[in-house]
Amino acid sequence: MKAVTNAERLVSQVLTGEVWPALADRHGYRVGPDGQPFVLPGMGGVTLGVHCGDPATGYAADHLEPGASIRHADPAANMAVQFLTCVGNQVTVASGPASGQVGHVIGQHAYVLVDFAEAVADRLAVGDAVTINAVGQGLRLADHPSIMVKNCSPGLLELMPGGTSADGRLEVHVAAWIPAEAVGAGVGMISEYANTDLMGAYQSLGADLSLGLESLRVGDIVAMADQDHRYGRGFRPGYLTIGVMSTGQCMLFGHGPGPSTLLTGPADAFRLVDDPAANLSSWYHDQGRGGR
Amino acid sequence: MSAQQSAVAVNLLGTVEHPELGDSPYRVDADGAPYVPVGDGGLVLGLELGDSVFALDGDHTAPGACLTHSDEAARHALVLYSCIGNEAEVRTGAAAGARGAVIGKRGESGRVIVGFRASDLAAMAPGDQVRVRTRGQGFRPAWLPEGVTMLNLNPDLLDALPVSPGDETMVSVRMVLPSMLAGNGLGRPAAGWDLDLQLGPGDGQDLRLGDLVAITDIDARYNMGYRRDWLSIGITMHASSPLPGHGPGITPILTGPRALLAAREDRQAHIGLTAALLKLQ
Repeated sequence: MKAVTNAERLVSQVLTGEVWPALADRHGYRVGPDGQPFVLPGMGGVTLGVHCGDPATGYAADHLEPGASIRHADPAANMAVQFLTCVGNQVTVASGPASGQVGHVIGQHAYVLVDFAEAVADRLAVGDAVTINAVGQGLRLADHPSIMVKNCSPGLLELMPGGTSADGRLEVHVAAWIPAEAVGAGVGMISEYANTDLMGAYQSLGADLSLGLESLRVGDIVAMADQDHRYGRGFRPGYLTIGVMSTGQCMLFGHGPGPSTLLTGPADAFRLVDDPAANLSSWYHDQGRGGR
Repeated sequence: MSAQQSAVAVNLLGTVEHPELGDSPYRVDADGAPYVPVGDGGLVLGLELGDSVFALDGDHTAPGACLTHSDEAARHALVLYSCIGNEAEVRTGAAAGARGAVIGKRGESGRVIVGFRASDLAAMAPGDQVRVRTRGQGFRPAWLPEGVTMLNLNPDLLDALPVSPGDETMVSVRMVLPSMLAGNGLGRPAAGWDLDLQLGPGDGQDLRLGDLVAITDIDARYNMGYRRDWLSIGITMHASSPLPGHGPGITPILTGPRALLAAREDRQAHIGLTAALLKLQ
């Protein structure tokens, strides 16, 4: 049974943003796990060729942000964009040659990350304006009061398999399990902003760095053990956080591919089902299905 | 890097920080309760090395005065160059001439924590200028096994800490913690950031300011992150925090593979960095 929600009470708000450039400083290099200096693309701009369902790692990239990376030019308006935009929200291109094309939000990473079909993404450039139909913050599960919902559009929750199970727990299908040791940068930050970098997923680096997370895919729904994201991101034994993989390959140490937070609460309030198809690509291939 | 290179001393200037808050006085603790953060930076009285990190109801409270610089790049350099044990001297204000020592430093925008005698601290105020004789980054003692990295520590201080040379460098610590308790600071450069430990008073941990702490499977040579069979050791230099993912913080001083660097837990009698060691008594 689909979980009963307050979706009909949620406020939809129209927000705007623009494709934000990649940023660097004149020194160029950052430092990898073994001290190796690197200059690698991934953050900002429009990252092509990587979409939901594709491997999260295995690229020559750092903090790979699939699709378009969106911010608002005004700092306070930008925080509204970052906090209020939810995974699954519909985004419409509002200027440039791709005007009118529609994508959907896959997560936050100090940018709002928007996946478009490759043919659309290929025509996008820095500065192109977008309109976001933001809805989802404040979403609650009537029959699961101990579980908090964050950054999740009601449309996404409806599309995800599972729901209230016969034993009263919330059934969620997940593509991967994440051990507490993997949680890196992003811990201690608020859970409506950016995401949780996962360590132990450095493709082609040493075995002593691996936590077996090299097969994650962009868009995977994952379960993070012992993580309480109700009021920020922290370690709490017996809690569980469900996220969606919104960023990919990292070279920066202590960082890695990362899930944006969707659901969090006591582990015993959940019933998890291992399901390799628990990925945004299962529900958002049709670009028109985004939004509410 | 050659073991014989000598550390360069650089005099820098910091200003005692004034605390800053946003439009709302509230932060939200790990259980969802709003609270007003007190003692997060600035100049704090009544907290000293040796006190429990849970002694006060503060947020990231440090024992002494936090130094910053009005220029962002100069502030980062002040934090990156400053090392635990570096000498400091107050240059302006009612406590001009007073001597202190660096106890640790904090990340994000960056703060250097300087300890003073309680009577000197009581005469100081935000805005006072403090000279820090920074020295230590890049230094490694000749006896330190290749593969073990020292950082953030005044060269003269190492011998006074409970660190025993040998094929395996052995360090006496208050506690050895698993990497899953590492919090804010992961993924950040160890030369400029502290690493918060996700410990709360309910965990029954008798951690004290100045204590050495070891954390397993964390590599802190550059950015701090997970590496199996590695060990990092830090000095506890700020107290607990109600924020999720935060807690008492350590400034890393030694990091290396567990085959070369080891920690012996001494919950009862451990003595780490003290006011006496820093000549603050």
